[in-house]
Amino acid sequence: MDLSSIGIEYGSYLLVGAIFLLLLTGQPLAWVTGCVALVFTFGWFGPMALPLVTSRIFGFITEYSLVAIPMFILMAALLDRSGIAKSLFNGMRILAGRLPGGVAVQTLIVAILMAAMSGVIGGEIVLLGILALPQMLRLGYDRSLSIGVVCAGGSLGTMMPPSIVLIIYGLVANTSIADLFIAAITPALLLLGFYVAYVLFLCWRNPQLGPPMSREEMAQESVASALRALAAPLFIVFVVLGSIYGGIASITEAAAMGVSAVLIISLLRRELTLKMVQDSLVHTLETCGMIIWIGIAAAVLVGVYNLMGGNRFVAQAILGIDAAPVFIIMVMMLILLVLGMFLDWIGIALLTLPIFVPIVVQLGYDPIWFGILFAVNMQVSYLTPPFGPAAFYLKSVAPKEITLKHIYVALLPFIALQLVVLATILFFPPIATWLI
Amino acid sequence: MADQSDIIDTAGQDEAEIRTGLDSAIAGSTKVLAWAIFAAFLITVIEVFARYVFNSPTFWAHETTSFLIAGVFLIGGPVALARDKHIRVRMFYDSVSPRRRRMLDIFNSLVALMFFAGLAFASWIMVSKSWFNPSGALHLEGTGTSWNPPTPALLKLLVLICVVVMFVQTVFHLIAAIRRETPDTSATEKGH
Amino acid sequence: ADYDWTFQTSETAGEPGFENKQKWADEVGLLSGGRIEIEILPIGAVVPHTDTLEAVGAGILQGHLTDPSYFSGKDPAFAMMGNLVGAWSDPFEFLGFMESGGGNELYAELVAPYGVQFIGAAATEPEAFVSRVPIRTVEDLKGVKLRAPEGMVYEIFSKAGAAPVSLPGSEIFSALDKGVVDAADNTVFATNQSLGMNDIAHYPLYPGFHSLPMIDISINKGVWDSLPEDLQEILTVSVKQFSFNHIYSVRQLDAAAVEKAKENPEIEIINWSGDERAKFRRIAQQEWQNWAPKTEMTQRYYDAVTAYLEGRNLL
Ligand code: NA
Ligand code: NA
Repeated sequence: MDLSSIGIEYGSYLLVGAIFLLLLTGQPLAWVTGCVALVFTFGWFGPMALPLVTSRIFGFITEYSLVAIPMFILMAALLDRSGIAKSLFNGMRILAGRLPGGVAVQTLIVAILMAAMSGVIGGEIVLLGILALPQMLRLGYDRSLSIGVVCAGGSLGTMMPPSIVLIIYGLVANTSIADLFIAAITPALLLLGFYVAYVLFLCWRNPQLGPPMSREEMAQESVASALRALAAPLFIVFVVLGSIYGGIASITEAAAMGVSAVLIISLLRRELTLKMVQDSLVHTLETCGMIIWIGIAAAVLVGVYNLMGGNRFVAQAILGIDAAPVFIIMVMMLILLVLGMFLDWIGIALLTLPIFVPIVVQLGYDPIWFGILFAVNMQVSYLTPPFGPAAFYLKSVAPKEITLKHIYVALLPFIALQLVVLATILFFPPIATWLI
Repeated sequence: MADQSDIIDTAGQDEAEIRTGLDSAIAGSTKVLAWAIFAAFLITVIEVFARYVFNSPTFWAHETTSFLIAGVFLIGGPVALARDKHIRVRMFYDSVSPRRRRMLDIFNSLVALMFFAGLAFASWIMVSKSWFNPSGALHLEGTGTSWNPPTPALLKLLVLICVVVMFVQTVFHLIAAIRRETPDTSATEKGH
Repeated sequence: ADYDWTFQTSETAGEPGFENKQKWADEVGLLSGGRIEIEILPIGAVVPHTDTLEAVGAGILQGHLTDPSYFSGKDPAFAMMGNLVGAWSDPFEFLGFMESGGGNELYAELVAPYGVQFIGAAATEPEAFVSRVPIRTVEDLKGVKLRAPEGMVYEIFSKAGAAPVSLPGSEIFSALDKGVVDAADNTVFATNQSLGMNDIAHYPLYPGFHSLPMIDISINKGVWDSLPEDLQEILTVSVKQFSFNHIYSVRQLDAAAVEKAKENPEIEIINWSGDERAKFRRIAQQEWQNWAPKTEMTQRYYDAVTAYLEGRNLL
């Protein structure tokens, strides 16, 4: 049977429907996406097209920027096993003092620092997940709140320069990467501000969600002891940020510099053992396997969908709109949000940007502004089910009793906040462009 | 400091998830294979030092780390499968009776077998093209640099190996699911 | 249309080359009276850029418009033919060699075993060089950390005394910005300027001297053989037309970008003298000699190029 006879429109619906249906069976997500892509390749183009699938597998795994992911996971695993993570959060708790939700706010600040250390997401969320989630739970923080803070905070790396999303956008749109980086800073801080405000508001209403220290505990701790606890983590942050901003290492290499800083610190703290390194490496290998194969499958899906003419289908949908320019931009946002439910951002960029950017320019809009909208949108895509990379990254390191459902439910308010920021930038472009 | 490590350990090192002998062999092999990550880390640090301190960047670090990490990503597939750590949507799966779950396991194994078989076929074509030139002579595809290590040919072979391993793992999972005894369904239905 | 094809290119959708390739596809549609419809897809849309040769051969894609250097791992002849570093400072010299020096025949012979029919070659303007430090002579390259794609370029800069660094394309901007590298091989001046490269690295070298990649326009052999003669001719002629259009459009964009760059007083555009270019070409030539004996094809290509350049008094 020739699947291509149904045409691209019904082909698209069938593809999405098949993924949804197979997901319900409890089949690993990577196999679901990959299998649907494989069946469509075979059914649409015949057996001679199947090498497309393995070609994309090879292309995905050899993507150099992904080298940072195992380095970040290794850093996180070592931090956790060495006890540096625990002292970091003990120190943060003391600094937060009597402020309900204080540790969550500080976690968000750690997240924005990490966003400035890395261009790829994944690493950051795993790092925060290993580092912050167990610690926040240990300190009695609400589970949903902790999950949301980790995932939303960890996703900030797409916005905060250096950002691979913006670099790829710049290359595709042929527009200044420097300007994109500058334009991204305010929206990234706006997102951070929204997250912080949300956490503080919730914990002010109900302090049990982010329990502060009691007066007795406060009496035992001093700022000095907090600073002592924070010294080691601060040194690591300094090494990573210093090697990037000092021109010593590339963004990808900086993650490895961070690993060496963790090893040195744990050696000084006399916590370094061969077993600890071994366990951390094994943990990294497993986590990489589960994360990367989801990405591999999505990459395959995008390849076959492009070959099927999916990009033309999307283009015609847009060009068919006869309405005010701003409405067309809103439709594009909607398409990005829907695609964000199923694909990772690289796939979405490959699929939509070649179509969208020329239209945006033709309509007289600033491509830099659209790039920022795109980046915020990709942040949303990290959190939205059923394909929410942030949720997967967190699931890969979270305690077993936390299910994917718990994570997605916890993420809903944060998705809402992201959408508010998206709309704000959409209707008030200067928020992005005022610094350029 | 035991508490937070315990949380990670139960998430990461849970041996209970291992279903077959092959799975435990694969899980055990990670103790050696995972050191590839450490090698990639060391090489990256060496490159940064060579470049920044001695102003003499290496010609080999970039290609070597890419190769090691790509290999780690691939091997991660069978490893995560061995430990049943691949992400699944469990909402529906967890809510059905053990008997239905067994049927789902059998169905899923069959779908996965079809998937891996298709991948193996495609990888076979890819491997033959990267190991032999069009005239049929043995020629390992390289990276195309002056150094030209044959890493693309090796990685493409590793794709095939990993896919075949996952196929075999899934065959064992299928057998296990078929043989698995499920408790009387009336007992589970009482719980609802 | 009678023929609906998908061709993948080696550019992102925003690069000038992509738009020019789309225009070529439109023109083929017009010339063929609508019998051929070609969809042009950007880099990586269906298969990774290194795999288009195999994908075209297998019929997954019907054709590609790409830089042959990406297939160097399959055969070193692709590296030499795709971008013989330092050989050409004008695309018309290169195209002259392809047309009358034997280049076309050799390249067609190289790709034929892959099930691919070579339609014709195009070229772009020489690529510019991005730099944070002024590099006015070959001598100035000493110790400069510069990003170069691994391969012939890497070795030649190494021989010239520079410290070449391997970095993927997505890392170039940040690495230059923070000073991890001092200079970078990127693409044509116009694109470097729009990406903001010249705003963070103030000493671009233009016109370029080191890199002038070929654009290979090829089609699946079976598809080609099934075409009537008039459509084959339309494809062949339209590729030549594309080649002219592309060179002139990039030339114009480069000129406009140079004007734009001059508005920024911090940017100094450095133009190497003929002597320095010759010095660099002599270093490059040593490396060509290293590559020549690798296969029978690389040797034949080396002989053909040197004969052509000597005949034109360019060596
Ligand atoms: Na970032
Ligand atoms: Na999503």
